[in-house]
Amino acid sequence: MTTQASFVALPTEILEAIFLHLDPSSLIAVSQTSNFVKRITLDTPLIWRHFCRNYFKSWAPHHNIAAKFAGPLSSVDWRALFIHRVQIAKRTIQLLNSVLHTQQGRIRRINEIADFGYDAKEVLLRQCACPDDAEDVLARRYYANAVLERIQREMAINVWKDLYNGKHVPIERALGAYDMFTRTGADVDFETISEDLEQLARGVREVCPEFGHLSTREQASALASYLRERGFRGVVDTSYSALRNSFIGVVLRSPTHDSLPLISVAIYCAVAKRLGLDARPCGFLFHVYCLIYAPKKHTLDGVYKPTSSDSLDYMYLDPFRSSNEVGQADLLRILREIGVPTSEHEGFLSDTNTREMVLRTARNIMNSVQTIRQTDAGVYGIHSTWLNAYPDMDNSFYSTIWAMLVLGPREEEENGGLHNISTRRRQYLPYLLEHFQTHYPWDVTLLEQHVIPLFYNQPEGQRLLTFVQSMHSMDSVRKPVNRRNPNRDRVNFKVGELFRHKRYLYEGVITGWDTSCDAGEEWIEHMGVDRLINGREQSFYHVLVCDKSVRYVAEENIIRPGGGPSAAMLKLAGRHFKRWDAGSNRFVSNVRDEYPDD
Amino acid sequence: MAATASEPKKVTLTTSDNADISVEREVAERSILIKNLLEDIGDNGDAIPIPNVNEAVMKKVLEWCEQHRKDPPASQDDDADSRKKSTDIDEWDQKFMQVDQEMLFEIILAANYLDIKALLDVGCKTVANMIKGKSPDEIRKTFNIQNDFTPEEEDQIRRENEWAEDR
Repeated sequence: MTTQASFVALPTEILEAIFLHLDPSSLIAVSQTSNFVKRITLDTPLIWRHFCRNYFKSWAPHHNIAAKFAGPLSSVDWRALFIHRVQIAKRTIQLLNSVLHTQQGRIRRINEIADFGYDAKEVLLRQCACPDDAEDVLARRYYANAVLERIQREMAINVWKDLYNGKHVPIERALGAYDMFTRTGADVDFETISEDLEQLARGVREVCPEFGHLSTREQASALASYLRERGFRGVVDTSYSALRNSFIGVVLRSPTHDSLPLISVAIYCAVAKRLGLDARPCGFLFHVYCLIYAPKKHTLDGVYKPTSSDSLDYMYLDPFRSSNEVGQADLLRILREIGVPTSEHEGFLSDTNTREMVLRTARNIMNSVQTIRQTDAGVYGIHSTWLNAYPDMDNSFYSTIWAMLVLGPREEEENGGLHNISTRRRQYLPYLLEHFQTHYPWDVTLLEQHVIPLFYNQPEGQRLLTFVQSMHSMDSVRKPVNRRNPNRDRVNFKVGELFRHKRYLYEGVITGWDTSCDAGEEWIEHMGVDRLINGREQSFYHVLVCDKSVRYVAEENIIRPGGGPSAAMLKLAGRHFKRWDAGSNRFVSNVRDEYPDD
Repeated sequence: MAATASEPKKVTLTTSDNADISVEREVAERSILIKNLLEDIGDNGDAIPIPNVNEAVMKKVLEWCEQHRKDPPASQDDDADSRKKSTDIDEWDQKFMQVDQEMLFEIILAANYLDIKALLDVGCKTVANMIKGKSPDEIRKTFNIQNDFTPEEEDQIRRENEWAEDR
C-alpha cells in the first residue's frame, strides 16, 4: 500500500479534484511536468469549465453561455473557450495600451476592442480600477471606461432595433437599455435587472405561498402591497424630476427605489409576468397606470364565465401611489376635466406597447436633463454641476437621441410616408452629431452601422458617409507636430496647465496651442478677437473646461490659479492627460505626439 | 435499547494491518462509508473491517474526525465545478496536514475511500498549495515526477501554452 502513495499514483479523480483548486497558470505549470499529468489536464473539461465559470463573469451574448453551462459537459470545448477568452483579455490590454500611447489610430483601436463586446467587460473594469499611483491612471481609467460605454451603447441600440423590428423584447430589457447606455460597472447589466426582478417575484411567493390560487384581483393587490412594503413607493414631488427616477436598473438597486410612475408600472408588470399575472402598462395622459387582465373566460374574482368573446376582464392600478384598485370612472373624470375629446378616451385607457414606454422614458429623461440645465443656467458662470447628476447627464441626453432616432418615427404611423419619416429623423441629427463629436468620437462606427442606413438615398446619407470617411482618415494619420521654437516663442503656457479664465472665471486646462489665433475669420469677428488688447496675434489655447466644453482662449485671458484640479476636472482630464503631478502643479501630457515639447 | 445518555456509543474498526481501534460512533460517522455500513448492518457490536486503511493512517483520520465531529454535514449540491477556487484552509487543518508527503497522500486516499468529503477537500487543497506558484521543474522535484518528454515534445508544449504567458 505504501508504494502507491505518490503524486502520480493518485487516482485520476483525485488529481482532478486537486487541479480544480489551481489557478490557470499553476495548472499549466503542472501540465508541463510529464505526459501523464499533461493528458489529465487536457482531457478534463471539468477543470476548464470551472475556469470559464470562475474567471469570466461577463460573456458576449453570441456565446449563449448560460445554455452552455447548463448543457452536457462534453458538448463544449471548454479549454478552447477559456483560451479564447484569455486571448481576448490580452488583446484588449494591448489595444488599450496603444490607445493610451498615441492619438493616431485611436478610434480604430477603440472599435477593435468594442468588437469583443461583453467579452472585454471584465478586463476593462479592472483597468478602470487601476491603482491611484499608476503612471497613466487618469488616461487609463478614462479610456477603459470610454470603451466599455461604447460597447454597452451598441448593446442598447441593438435592443431598441429589435424592438423596432417587431421582435419580442421584455419591457425591463427595453427600458434597461437606458441603464446600459449611460452607466458602467460590474452590476450594470441586463442580467442584473432580470435577477433583481426574479428576486422580487421569489419574495412574493415566499410571503404569499398561496399566490397562485388567488383570484386576479387578489393577486394584483398582493403584488402591489408587496412592492410598496419593499420600498417601491414612487417618489415625493420635490425630487420628481431627478434623472435617476427614469432608470429601471438604478431604481431596482437604489436604497429608496425612487421612481417615476412609468418605471413603477414597468417593474410591476415585469414582476407580475414572472408570477403568471397579466399586467400591462396603460398609456394614460401624464401618468402611466397599470392594466391587469383576468385569464380568459374568468372574472377578476376568479369565477368561471363562459363566453365566446375574446375580450378579457380588466382593472386599473397605480402602483406608484397605492395598492388600491383605480376605478375606470375616476380615470374618465380626469380625462373630461383636462378636456380630452370623448373620441380619444379609449386610446388613453387601453394598454400601450413597450416601444411607447421607451419613447415616453426618452421624453422623461430629456425633461430631467432640461431641468438640470435650466437650474444651472440660473446660476452665473460656468460650472460642473454635471458631476452631481446620476446617471451622467450627457450620456443620458445622448441615449434619448438614439432612442428617438431608432424607435421614433414609424412608417405605418406617418401620414406623409417615407419622406416625412426622414424629416422627423433629420431633426435629431444635429444633436446627435454635436454630442458625439464632443464626447464620443469613437462612436463613428455606430453612426455608420445604425444611422447612415436610416438616411439611405437621402442627401444626409451621402453627407454622413463623407463625414465618417474623413473621420477615419484623420484617425489613421499622425497628428501634426507642434514644436516649440525658442526664438519666436511667445507661447507662455504649457499643455497640462490648469487655469482660470480672467473674465468668466471658469476652471480649465490647456490641451493645445497656436502661436496666433488660428480660427476662421467669421469666428474672429463674431468673438471680437480684434478688440482684445493683444488682438489676434497672440497665442491662443485649446482648452478643456470643467463643464465638459471645449473652448479656444486668448493668452491674455488666462490666469494661473494655484491649487489643484477639481473633482470634475480630474474626471475629464484623462482624455488628454496621464495623471496630475502635484510637484510641477500640472497634468502630465498624454498628447506628446502632438506637442512633444510640453 | 435503553441507551444511557452519559455513555457515548463506541464502535470498533479493524484496519488493514489487523489493528482494532475503538472510537465513538459519532466520530466514526464522519465517514459516510462507515455511517452507511452501521445503518445497513445495524450496530451489533462486531468490529468493522476497513481493509484499505492501515492503523497509522486510520488514527490520523480519526484525529481529524474527532476535531470536526460537530461540523454540519456537507451540503449535497456543491458540485465540484462551482466550488470556490479559494485554497484557504483553517489553522487547525493546516497544522494537521503538516505531515510527510506519503502520509498526506495516504490521508487523501483514505478520505476518498471512507467518503469524508471535507477531509478529502482539505487534502486536495493542501496539495494544490504545494503546486501553486512553482515552475514545472520545481513541481517535478517536489513530487518526484519523472520528466518523460522528448525535446520535440517540450517544444510543442511551449507553443501550446503561449496563450497563457504574461497574464
